Amino acid sequence: MSRRAVIAGVGHTAFGKLPERTSWDLEVEAARAAVADACMSPSEIDGLLTDPGPVQGVLDGITPHFLRLGAQLGLNPNYTGSEILGGAGSVAIVERAALAVEAGLCDACLCVYGDSALSAGSAYTYGRGDESAFGFFGAVGLHALAAQRHIHTYGTRPEHFGEVVVAARAHGVRTPHAQKRRAISMDDYLVSDPVVEPLRRLDCCLVSDGAAAVLVTTEERAADLPCPAISLLGHAQAHSLSTYASPDHFESLPAAHCGPKALAQAGITASDIDVAMLYDCFTIVVLLQLEDYGFCKKGESGSFVEGGRIGPGGTLPVNPSGGLLAEGYGGGMLHVIEAVRQLRGDAGARQVPDAELALVSGHGLGMNTHATLVLGRNV
Amino acid sequence: MSDAAPTPPQPQPDAYTQPFWDACQRQSLEAARCEDCGHCFLPPGPCCPQCWSAELSVCPLSGRGRVYSFGIYRRSYHPGLPAPYVVALVELEEGPRLVSNVVGCMPEDVRIDMPLRVRFEASGEFVLPRFEPAEEEGARR
Ligand SMILES: [Zn+2]
Repeated sequence: MSRRAVIAGVGHTAFGKLPERTSWDLEVEAARAAVADACMSPSEIDGLLTDPGPVQGVLDGITPHFLRLGAQLGLNPNYTGSEILGGAGSVAIVERAALAVEAGLCDACLCVYGDSALSAGSAYTYGRGDESAFGFFGAVGLHALAAQRHIHTYGTRPEHFGEVVVAARAHGVRTPHAQKRRAISMDDYLVSDPVVEPLRRLDCCLVSDGAAAVLVTTEERAADLPCPAISLLGHAQAHSLSTYASPDHFESLPAAHCGPKALAQAGITASDIDVAMLYDCFTIVVLLQLEDYGFCKKGESGSFVEGGRIGPGGTLPVNPSGGLLAEGYGGGMLHVIEAVRQLRGDAGARQVPDAELALVSGHGLGMNTHATLVLGRNV
Repeated sequence: MSDAAPTPPQPQPDAYTQPFWDACQRQSLEAARCEDCGHCFLPPGPCCPQCWSAELSVCPLSGRGRVYSFGIYRRSYHPGLPAPYVVALVELEEGPRLVSNVVGCMPEDVRIDMPLRVRFEASGEFVLPRFEPAEEEGARR
């Protein structure tokens, strides 16, 4: 008991095209929702960590992201900062909040992701330094290199990539706030326009305006709250910063290093996980994680996802809220929130029966960053 | 009146990468070599990424390599670079990997492990090291 960190509250805005809203207006709404969800008071918040998202992370170079939001919320916290880890940022700030709370740096730390990437446009089509001279643009071009290697090495077929997005969109049908609530067929996937082959339009995640927040506090404080607290049972990060110079950068994710660490810390293995909230910026990233986290053997993710195994009612539901491919681009914070809702038994029509253990991942930049959380019902 | 295509994005050399781009102007490809551990690497920088030595020299490259992986761009991201085109991660026979284009064949004919040789092509003020298919015996592993 006492200083062990738990997640006590979650909240988010609508996700989609919200041109009349600013990102900080959205972040404030998400922050208020998370504090209200925890039945805590704004005056208790003494920690603020933020993930500025792709657009703000690049453009907002003068006023740090946490400062703008902290000023809006009137906070004078004991601990604050912003994390720039691309798509691993949201999972990483929840981990950092837990460490800060457990170390006594603060008692109630708000973790906020927000961005207006859809209204701002072009966040994902940036050139990559000198490589833009060769037309190497966008996150999709980089992930196409990983997809091509997987196809070459393991014979992965288009239908295997398709299974990932067909499952995500089927999950999205059951998620009232999802940006995409229409199911798609395998044929819809196969005729989807190629962007950077082998990746099609439907292999790529959504772009969204929206914000999401998670409140981390002590187990002791949470014991007095009406909502069941969710425990952080394990956490780890691993990163591959050498990119092209790293021999297996496009074949295996740093999840292969931090996944086993986080699972071991929780005292479990991948087969114990009831809900896998896997960062899904591109379908290939889900396939690689299924292997690198040990849900299946290396190279076998294609056959693993066949037959709807990761879809609704499947033996390993992946991203039951729809994830980045259907729910909306929430930077990874929506993944944390869905894990909390599933573990609370509060996920409505998409509830995974008896969900007790969830794994949440974040993956970012040029396949460089990775962060893992293992969450459990606080029993 | 000019119908000239817009200039594609240009490299932005810094003090460490300027010699690489100068060599390309001379139709020559070179990397950095560590004088302490012998590591040959790209892009050139202030130290050897393998042993952190700052004792660096030039590593001449043969211009031969193979396709490590690639993507076929079916949409254009810049008016000076019309689709389709192939962006490949080229593994050079001396070890370093380099992002470049595969030219001189249909995009659909590019394959992983396909042997390549460098082909220098002008782009705006720069000369870019692009790659074209090579004979198998020309690409030693
Ligand atoms: Zn060295």
